[in-house]
Amino acid sequence: MTRQAPDSAAAARPMRSLGRDSVGVALVAIAGLAGYWLFPDNLSFLTRMISVALLVLSLDLVVGYCGIASLGQAALYGAGAYAAGIACLAGVTEPFLLILIGAAAGGVTGLLMGTIMLRAHGLPQLVLSIAIVQLLHEAANKAYSVTGGSDGLSGMAPAPLFGIFEFDLWGRTAYLFGLALLVIVFVALKLLVRSPFGMVCRGLKQDPLRVSALGISAFPVLLRMFLISGAVAGTGGALGAIATQVVGLDSVSFELSANALVMLVLGGLGNLYGALIGTVVFMAVEHIVAAFNPFHWLTLVGGLLVAIVLFAPRGLSGSIDEAARILMRGKRRTAP
Amino acid sequence: MIDRRSFSRLLSLGALALASGLGLGGAAAADTVKVGIIGPFSGPFALQGKNFQAGVEAWLAQNGKSVDGHDIEIVYRDLPTANPQQSRALAQELIVRDKVQYLGGVYFTPDAMAITPLLKQGNVPLVIFNAATSAIMTSSPLVVRTSFTTAQTTTPLGKAAVDRGVKKFVSVVSDYGPGVDAEAAFKKAITAAGGEVVESIRMPLNTTEFSPIMQRVRDAGAQGVFAFLPSGPPTLGFVKSFNDTGLKQSGVKLFATGDLTQESDLPALGEAASGMITSFHYAVSHDSDVNRKFVAAAEKALGDPAQLSFPAVGAYDGMHVIARMIAATGGKQDAEKAVEAVKGLAWESPRGPVKIDPETRHITETIYLREVAKDAKGHWINKEIQRFPEQKDPGLAK
Repeated sequence: MTRQAPDSAAAARPMRSLGRDSVGVALVAIAGLAGYWLFPDNLSFLTRMISVALLVLSLDLVVGYCGIASLGQAALYGAGAYAAGIACLAGVTEPFLLILIGAAAGGVTGLLMGTIMLRAHGLPQLVLSIAIVQLLHEAANKAYSVTGGSDGLSGMAPAPLFGIFEFDLWGRTAYLFGLALLVIVFVALKLLVRSPFGMVCRGLKQDPLRVSALGISAFPVLLRMFLISGAVAGTGGALGAIATQVVGLDSVSFELSANALVMLVLGGLGNLYGALIGTVVFMAVEHIVAAFNPFHWLTLVGGLLVAIVLFAPRGLSGSIDEAARILMRGKRRTAP
Repeated sequence: MIDRRSFSRLLSLGALALASGLGLGGAAAADTVKVGIIGPFSGPFALQGKNFQAGVEAWLAQNGKSVDGHDIEIVYRDLPTANPQQSRALAQELIVRDKVQYLGGVYFTPDAMAITPLLKQGNVPLVIFNAATSAIMTSSPLVVRTSFTTAQTTTPLGKAAVDRGVKKFVSVVSDYGPGVDAEAAFKKAITAAGGEVVESIRMPLNTTEFSPIMQRVRDAGAQGVFAFLPSGPPTLGFVKSFNDTGLKQSGVKLFATGDLTQESDLPALGEAASGMITSFHYAVSHDSDVNRKFVAAAEKALGDPAQLSFPAVGAYDGMHVIARMIAATGGKQDAEKAVEAVKGLAWESPRGPVKIDPETRHITETIYLREVAKDAKGHWINKEIQRFPEQKDPGLAK
């Protein structure tokens, strides 16, 4: 693979951005641990947040870095959740193994989804993504004996982590397990998007013609990204299955896919931090408003979303960038 | 970068701190028993959640907000659609942070399944107001249910149909869990009564065009159709199509469970459903003083009388059960003692005499055969025409 222009530009300040990324990753971990100390009574919810954050990160890889619009990302998340759930009921109860099974199932589904979706461009591609998630939803509904259909898949009992820490009512094990997973995946993705492969993906998003003129075929590159994205989403799904011990049809629904896209747009596309910020802010606001007024909270959340799209079109992370730039006027331009 | 992370974190921390502040604000006074109710209070099933709320408020209005001097505080939590992950998160927070002693509500089966593993550790009983799959009861000994199961409401239809000389059936159900359950329960019941199902049709959940299905019924030469669909718009289309294709006029009888003719749908169904025979555990028109008082209180809580339907009575009886539990434990948190105290509990519900079966902890109740008809004031009602007393859940009775 030849070196591209964006890559050499990035190479001009490798040490600086590497340091910045380590600080970023450390902050994610610290923020996660702070959540553990500050909200010991909400760990189940925070675990769900991590599970969804993995889904939104995986969506960011496809939408934000490759420019492929998708409203069907939950197909990959659900594949991971159901695979882990079914494996757990079949007697595979080791949590790490279940996560691997979920990631593998998500990756395979990602390959299939990519193979189909990459045949089209633009709106037809978006429609295909919706069709795929609906098909899988219906398949999960029909395969009653395997998935439990609309009653959900229940009764799974994951083994204690390292044989000691149980997945219990207080959810400490599930949360710390999830947080560790999130940090590992986050570091891996940071390396991925900064690698030459990640740069090619960005190049394909900005100017596919020019990248193909460099002798790079788009299809295998994008397909590989679908595989990785599927594995990340599948990890999130498997984490959800282990923590909840029930898998429902909602995990492979259009609604979840659309919500993930909303969270991503809210946080800012093409930015891994944006995916995390979007998930945390959206779910926290939703949770608080819903507890405050369980009957009319949807209206409030809807109003908030409209306001953000109108006043912060680049998402929260974009607006924060903007604010930082104004504060540091005269200094170096911050990277997107 | 640091600014960005810490800012977002501060934002969310601040927001969550606000939430825990709210939680603390409502924390227990000297002797307050908290009850957490989870249900669909917004979204497409909001009407069912509103009925939960109406049932609870009606009970509180009639019996006061305390039991033996222990004040009852209700904490509502919204779960718009079936979502087990969110269900578990809500239940966990209610138990750990809000310190509820009882959980109630739950409309969908997967949501209940996500809560049951928490009950033993949390020392909290769950009283289910709706979720109607038999298997929930076996997933934890701390679950009590005051609603019904599809098998329970379907089974009496078999005998009722054969008594009316209708023996040859086609069953038509929506292709999802409860539909498949209903199909199996009806087949068993009609075969036991001496009839038969000549064809079983499963249609996709979002079917809107029913005339091909009506044609298949006609081709099968059936005397009767057993139908199960989720309530709401699909039901309207199905009943309309049954009439328009001439099946009704040709003498084919339509039998269904009461899900299809729930009272809040009747004004829209109207004339089309006239004469339709259904079986169910509760009709708003049930003739008893207890029911009349309940309906008055629940309609007041709802605001719109036309919206009252069966989930309200599940919630009302659920509150009765929870109150007995509070009395039996003296307001102290003891889930096992609480559940033990209501085993075999019998009382007069708005739906008629009911009892908590000591073995299954599911409600034993009268199932009514009803006909859609007009009452004296010209409103469409489910008129009770036959009773099948003391029906247990056939799915649990082994």
